[in-house]
Amino acid sequence: MEKTPRVLEVEDLHTYYGESYVIQGLSLFVEAHEAVSILGRNGVGKTTTLRSVMGLTPPRSGKVTIAGEDTTGWPAHRISGLGVAYVPAERHIFPGLSVEENLKLAARPGKNSNPWTLERVYEHFPVLADRTSQDGATLSGGEQQMLAIGRALISNPDIVILDEPSQGLSPLLVDTVTEIVQNFCVKSGITLLVVEQNYRMALKVASRHYLMSTKGKIAGVATTRELMDDQQIIQDHLAV
Amino acid sequence: MTGIATAVDIALNSLVLGGVFLIVAIGLNIIYGLSRVMNLAHGSLFAIGAYTGYTLVASGLNFFVALLITPIIAGFVGLILERMIIAPMRKRSMIYTLILTYGLMFFLDGMIKQTWGNEPRFIELPIFMGETLSILGTHYPVFRLVTLAITAVVMIALMLFLNKTRLGIILRAASTIPEMVSCLGFNMNYVHIGAFVLGSALAGVAGIIAGPLTTIDPLMGHEMLISSFVVIVIGGLGSLRGAVYAAILIGVVQTLAEFFITDLAMVIVYMMMAVILAFRPLGLLGEGKFE
Repeated sequence: MEKTPRVLEVEDLHTYYGESYVIQGLSLFVEAHEAVSILGRNGVGKTTTLRSVMGLTPPRSGKVTIAGEDTTGWPAHRISGLGVAYVPAERHIFPGLSVEENLKLAARPGKNSNPWTLERVYEHFPVLADRTSQDGATLSGGEQQMLAIGRALISNPDIVILDEPSQGLSPLLVDTVTEIVQNFCVKSGITLLVVEQNYRMALKVASRHYLMSTKGKIAGVATTRELMDDQQIIQDHLAV
Repeated sequence: MTGIATAVDIALNSLVLGGVFLIVAIGLNIIYGLSRVMNLAHGSLFAIGAYTGYTLVASGLNFFVALLITPIIAGFVGLILERMIIAPMRKRSMIYTLILTYGLMFFLDGMIKQTWGNEPRFIELPIFMGETLSILGTHYPVFRLVTLAITAVVMIALMLFLNKTRLGIILRAASTIPEMVSCLGFNMNYVHIGAFVLGSALAGVAGIIAGPLTTIDPLMGHEMLISSFVVIVIGGLGSLRGAVYAAILIGVVQTLAEFFITDLAMVIVYMMMAVILAFRPLGLLGEGKFE
C-alpha cells in the first residue's frame, strides 16, 4: 500500500522570539488530507510554531518541509505560493479595506471542479454577503473570523493553518466556526493544522492531536478516540 | 483692488500652494506608510522634478508633455535609489535609513548643482498660460488656475488608483498589516519598490507643477521637504485625509502670513504646528501608527 505523503513536516525546530528561546526542539508532521491539532496552554509556543512554519518568525535551526520542498528560511509569500493559507489568531482583517476587497486580495484560481469564488464565499457566509462594502475593521469578532476563514478559502489552498479560531468567540459562534471548518476544510480534503486551547473544538475538527507542553516540547500524540477515552490526558495537559 | 478681490486672490493662492504641498506630502507619506522609511531626500526628488521639467520644456517640448514625462523620470530615480541604497538598509532600525536619506539629500543636491548650476531657472509656459483671467474683480494668472486643475487631476487619479485598482488595494492593505499581505502571497519587496516609485513620481510631478510658481534653484527641495513634513505631522502620519486638511490649512496660513507679514510666514506655520501637536500629539487625524 502506498504511504500517505507528509505534506507538512517540522524536524527539530528551535525558534527564538526576540531574546526568548520559545521553541526548543519541536518535531511534528501532517499527512495529506489529514486534520491535525496542536493542543496546549497559553504561552507554550503554539503560535510561534505556526509563525515558524509560515516563515514569519524563521527558526534558528531545524527544518520545515512543505509539499516536498525544504521551506526553511523561505519568506511568507513563497510559502503562501505553495498553497498554504494562514489564519492568525488576531484574524488580521485589513482595516480600511471593504469585506469584498479583503476577499479579492486573497482570491486565486482553484484547481478542482468546484473552486472557491467570491460568489461561493457569499453563498456560504451570508453574513459577509450583507456587508460587502463595509470596512472589514468594523465587523464583529465573529464576522471577522468568518471573513478570515473566507479569505483563506478563496485562495483555494491545499493546506490551511488556523491559529486559535475559537479565540474571543461566544460558545454559539465557536459551534458555527467548528461547523465551517468541518464542512469546508476537513470534508473537502484540505489538509488542516489547527492550534487550540479549546480542546472540545479541536476534538471535533481534527483527528490527531499533538499535546504541547512548555517551550514547544511535544508531550504526547493522541488520536481523537484516545483523548475521548482517556479524559485524564486532557486534564494533565490543558486544565488550568 | 477691492476687499472681495483680495480675498479671492488669497483663497486661490492658498489652494495653489496647499495643492503642491499636498502632492509632495502624500508622496512622503506613502513611502513612510509602506516602507517605514522617512525619506529625507524626498525634497530633492521634488527639485529633480522641477529641473527635469525645465530641461524638457527648454529643449522644446510642450509643457503638458513634459508634465507626463517628468513623473516617469522621477519615479525611475526613486526606483534606483530604493534598490541600490535603501533596500540594503531595510533590516536595520529606522535611524539608519534616516541618516542615510539625510546624506542622500546632500548627494542629490550636489548632483543637481553639477548638472544645472547654481543660477535660478524658469520654466517657459505656453503663451495662453501667461494671460490673466478676471474672477470677481481680481486678475488671476491663468497658469495658477491650470496648476490648480493639474493638482486636482493628480489627486483624483491617485484616489482612483488606490481605491479601484488591484495594485492600489495591495498598497492600502500593506500600509496596515504588511505581514498579512506577505501571507497572502505578495512579495513585500515589490510593495517597497512600488511605494518609492509612486512617492518619487508624486514629488517629481509636484516639482514641475511648482516650477512656474517659483524660481527653480538647487535648494528648493529643502524648504519643500520641511513644508511637506509639517503637512504630514499636522495631518497625522499615515492619514491621507489628515494630509489634505493640513495641506490646505498650511497653504492658507502661509499665504495669509506672506500677505501681511512677509518675513515671518514660516515662523507662523511652525508655531501653528507646535500648538496643534501640543493638543493632538498624533496630528489632526493621526492613527498612532508609530513604531
